[in-house]
Amino acid sequence: MPTINVYKWRLLKELQINENTLEDLLFNLKSEMKPIDQDHIEIEINNDRPDLLFVYGIIRSIKGLLKRELGEAKYSVKSTNYLFEVKEVKSRPYALAAIIEGIKLDEELLKELIQFQEKLHITLGRKRKKVAIGIHDLRKIDTKKIIYATVNLDYRFVPLNSSKEMSVKEILEHTEEGREYGGISLFDGKMPAIMQDDGQILSLPPVINSEKSKVETSTTDLFIDVTGTSLDAVISTLDILVTNLAEMGGKIGEVKVLSPYTDKSPILRHDKIRISVEYINRILGTQLQKADLIEYLKMARFDVNDLGNELEVIIPPYRVDILAEIDLVEEVAMTIGYSNLSPSTYKIETIGSLSDRSKITRIIRDLSIGASFTEIFTFVLTSDSLLNDEYVRVINPITADYNAVRNSLIPTMLQFLSKNQHSRMPIRVFEVGEVVVKDEESETGYRNRLNAIYAIMDSRVSFEDLQGPVHYILTSLGLNVEYKREKNYYLIEGRTAGIYSKGKLIGIIGEVKPEILEKVKIKYPVMLSEIYLDEIEKLI
Amino acid sequence: MLSDNEVKILEYLKKVKEDSAENISKQLSIPIETIFSISQLLKEKGYISIEEKKIVKYELTEEGKERLQKGLPEELLINILDGKEAKIQDVKDRLGKDLEIAIGWAKRKGLIKIEKDTIIPLVKHYEAKKEKEALINPENASEEVLKELLSRKFLIKREEKTYRIKLIKEEIEIRPVITFLTPELLASGEWRRYVLRDYNVEAYPPFYPLGRKHFFKEFLERLKDIMRELGFKEYYSDYIEMEFYNFDLLFQAQDHPAREIHDSFSVPGEGKLLDEKLLERVREMHENSWKYKWDRKIAAKLMLRSQTTATTARILASKPTPPLRAFTIGKVFRPDSIDATHLIEFHQLDGLVIEDNFTFRDLLGTLKEIFNRIGIKEIKFKPAYFPFTEPSVEVYGKIEGLGWVEMCGAGLLRPEILKAVEINSSAGAWGIGIDRLAMLLFGLKDIRLLYSTDIEYLRNRKVDINAYD
Repeated sequence: MPTINVYKWRLLKELQINENTLEDLLFNLKSEMKPIDQDHIEIEINNDRPDLLFVYGIIRSIKGLLKRELGEAKYSVKSTNYLFEVKEVKSRPYALAAIIEGIKLDEELLKELIQFQEKLHITLGRKRKKVAIGIHDLRKIDTKKIIYATVNLDYRFVPLNSSKEMSVKEILEHTEEGREYGGISLFDGKMPAIMQDDGQILSLPPVINSEKSKVETSTTDLFIDVTGTSLDAVISTLDILVTNLAEMGGKIGEVKVLSPYTDKSPILRHDKIRISVEYINRILGTQLQKADLIEYLKMARFDVNDLGNELEVIIPPYRVDILAEIDLVEEVAMTIGYSNLSPSTYKIETIGSLSDRSKITRIIRDLSIGASFTEIFTFVLTSDSLLNDEYVRVINPITADYNAVRNSLIPTMLQFLSKNQHSRMPIRVFEVGEVVVKDEESETGYRNRLNAIYAIMDSRVSFEDLQGPVHYILTSLGLNVEYKREKNYYLIEGRTAGIYSKGKLIGIIGEVKPEILEKVKIKYPVMLSEIYLDEIEKLI
Repeated sequence: MLSDNEVKILEYLKKVKEDSAENISKQLSIPIETIFSISQLLKEKGYISIEEKKIVKYELTEEGKERLQKGLPEELLINILDGKEAKIQDVKDRLGKDLEIAIGWAKRKGLIKIEKDTIIPLVKHYEAKKEKEALINPENASEEVLKELLSRKFLIKREEKTYRIKLIKEEIEIRPVITFLTPELLASGEWRRYVLRDYNVEAYPPFYPLGRKHFFKEFLERLKDIMRELGFKEYYSDYIEMEFYNFDLLFQAQDHPAREIHDSFSVPGEGKLLDEKLLERVREMHENSWKYKWDRKIAAKLMLRSQTTATTARILASKPTPPLRAFTIGKVFRPDSIDATHLIEFHQLDGLVIEDNFTFRDLLGTLKEIFNRIGIKEIKFKPAYFPFTEPSVEVYGKIEGLGWVEMCGAGLLRPEILKAVEINSSAGAWGIGIDRLAMLLFGLKDIRLLYSTDIEYLRNRKVDINAYD
C-alpha cells in the first residue's frame, strides 16, 4: 500500500483535532498513521483511494466524518483563454490539461505536491505507463497555446533540475528518469512532448519536465498536463489533481482542448448511482432509516437526491473507487464505523466435513507416530539441483535455494537429514506433504500429489529397519502389499523395492545411493521410503 | 541380592569359615582388589566380618644374604688374626673395604683392641651366632639384635596389612544373580532359583527417539477442526494455478499493481480455460468496470498461487448450490526476502459463505466466532480494500505484549463477481494468514522456526497442554 509523508501540524490545524482523533478517523478511512518525527507523520493509504494521496484530500474526507462539511465539495471552474492541442501520439494517445490559480505553496506543501504527483504515477499511473503528470508554473509559460505532439530525439531543451540544454536522446540516456521511464513511450524514434506554441518543450512525458516551467514555493498558478494510454485514467487523474488543489484553495481554470475526444478539460466527471434503502440494509444487516442513510452518504461527501423509493447519489470526480451501489454501501458502513456495526451471533446451520486428503493425512500421521517417527515440516519450494524427472521451474525465483517446486518429498527430506548429522541418532523422521507432478489431464498441466516419506539415518541401518514400520503402516490401512525390485534415481539398485498393492505402485523403499549422500553431504547411511497417498486413497 | 562374585566368596567361606583375603583371591582366582571391594559390600550386608591385622616383616637385604653366607666382617677379622697381633696394614690386604667395619664392630663387641697400628685380639675365636640366627629367623630375634641388623642394613623392616575374612551369618541361602527374566525361566518356574540384579534405577536413560507430531501441523489440523465444527466443508486445489483463478475471477484488473511479476512466482506454460461462458462473463466484468481490453492469454498464464482465494475462486466457478460454507487451508507462495517475519511460502485459511441474505454483520459475526475459537478473544474491524470484496474489512486481533495485529482480510464478494459466476445469493469470504498468527500464538521470535530443520528443536519442544483448547 502507498504511504505519504505529511506535515502533521497543517492537518491538525485545518481540522482542529488532536492526534488521537486523527488516528481514529484515519482508521475509519482504511488508513493508518505513524510518527516520523516531531512534525511529520506517515499515512498509509489504500490503493482504492488515490484522492487521499494528498493532505487536502484527507482533510476533505475527514471534514465530512466530523460533519463540518456535508455533501460534495463544490469547486468553481472559470474559463481561461488557454488552448491545449492534442496531436497524434501513437504510443501515448491521450492528453488533457488544466489550470489552477491562486495557490499558496511553502516548502512543506511543495514537497507534498511533488509526492502526490509521484504517488499518482505509481498507483493510477502504473509507474507512469498508464498515466504521467506534468505540473508547471503557469507564469513561466509564454504562450496561450500548448501542444501535445511528438519530437525527434535530437530536439533540445533544459530538463528539470539541470542547467544545460540537452537533446532528448541525451536525456533518455544520461538522466536517471530517462533511463527508468524513457523506454515506455519511445516509438518510431520519437518521444511525446508538451510544448509551447513556439516549440519550447515544457515536459517530455512520461520522463521529465523542463527546467523552464519549474514549480517553486513562489509559484501561485499551475498548468497541469496529464498524458496516458487510457483516456479514462487520464480523466480521473486530472480530476483528482485539480479537485485536491481546489480544496487547498486554488481556482480551477478550464482549458480549451483540440482533440478527438473532448473540447475542454478538466472533465470533472460526475456519475450518478441509484441505490435503495432496502438494498443497503439488506447488505449490511441493518435497519437504517432513509434520513440516516442520506446523512451518512453526505458525511462521506456525496450529494444525494431523494427520489422516493431510491436515492440518487452523485459521485464526485475524485472518487474513482466508486464503481457501483455496493461501493456506496461500504461508504455507509465506514461512516457509521465498523465498530458500531454489531457482529451477528454465529449460528451453526450446516454440518462441516474434512476433505479426504485431510482424513488420510491424519490417519497416516497417527500411524507414523505409532511407529516412532518424528514429524518434520519442509518447504514445497526447493533447489532444482536435487530434483529428478519433470518438475515445475520458478521463472522468477528469489534465490537458487528455492527455484523449483518439488516433485517428490525425497529431496527436501535429504536436505533435512543433511542438517541433522550432529543430532542424537537414530534420526527417524517422516512427513506428509504435497508435491507437484506433471498431469496432462489437468487444466494447468500439473497437479498436486499427496505423499508421505519415511527416513531412518543412523551409523548402521538395514532395509528391514524401515521396511518393518512402513509395511505395518500400509497393512494397517487394509492393503495387501507386495515388494518388487525397482530402480530409482535416489536409491541403490538391488536395495530398492517398489511397493505395490492390487498391481498399483503405491510407493518406493530403499537405501540412498552413496553418490547422492555425497552430493547432499550426508555421512551416514539413510534408508527411506516414499508413499503415494493419492494412489492409496483410491484403494481403501 | 548378591552378585556372582559375592556368591562365590560366600560359598567358599561356607566351607572354610575363615580365611585371609590373599588366600581367597588365590583359591577363587579373583583379583585381590575385587576381593577387597566385594568383602566390603558383604560386610555392609552383614554376611562377614573383616579383621584387619598389621604384620611386621623383616627381609634380608642383599648384603644380609652375603654376610650370612660368608660371615660377618668382625668374624672374619677374628679368624684372620687367629689369636695373634697383626699390623692394620697387613690385615687390610685381606679384608679390603670391610676392614673399617670389621675393626669398628670388633672393638664395639670387645673382641679386639687397637694400639697404634696394631690390632690386638682379645679372643681367639668368635662366631656372631645371635646375629646369624636373627638373620635366618628375624621373627624370633631379640629387639636389640634386630636393631643392630637393621642399622647395619642386613635387614629391612616391612609392615603389611592382612585381612582375615570370617563368615558371620551362618544361615544363608545363596542364590545366583541374573539380569534378565526370560520366558524359559518363567515357564519352568526356575526363576525362583535366581535373584534379579538391581538396576541403577536412579540414572537417566540413554536417548530414545520418540515419535512426535509437528507442532505447526497440529495447529493447522486444529484450525481445520474449528472450521469443521462451525459447519464448514473443506476444499482444496493445486499450487500451480492459472492467473484466471488467482486474479481475474477475483476482479483484479490485469494491469493491477498486485499482478506485477515481483508479487507472485511465475512458472512456464499456459493452462486451458475451458468454460467459455464463464470467460465471457469475466471479460465483460473486467472491461465494463475497469475500462480496458481484457486478455485471456494473460488469464491462462501459470503461476504459483499467491492466495488460497484461488481455491475460493474455483469453488465459485464450480457453480455451487447455496447455502454453502466452505473453507480451505493451504500453502501460498509470494516472492519476498526471507527473514524472521517473512517466508516465501506460507499458509492461508480461506473461507466462503454463500447464503441468501448473508449480511455484512453476519460476516463480522462469523469472523468473530472463528477468531474466538482460535484463541483471539479481542478483535476489531477496520475498513479495507480488496478488489473482490465490498464492503471489505480487516480483522485486527489483540496479542498480549504486541497490541493490535492485522490477521485477516474479509468482505462480501462483489456483485460483479457473483454475477460472473451466476450466483444469486450473497456471499462473504475471508483469508487468514496462518503462519504469522501461529508465530504469535506460539510466542516464536522467528517465523522460520515453524519449519525448523533442527530435529533437536522438534524433539525438545514442550508439548502445550492447552493445544486442543
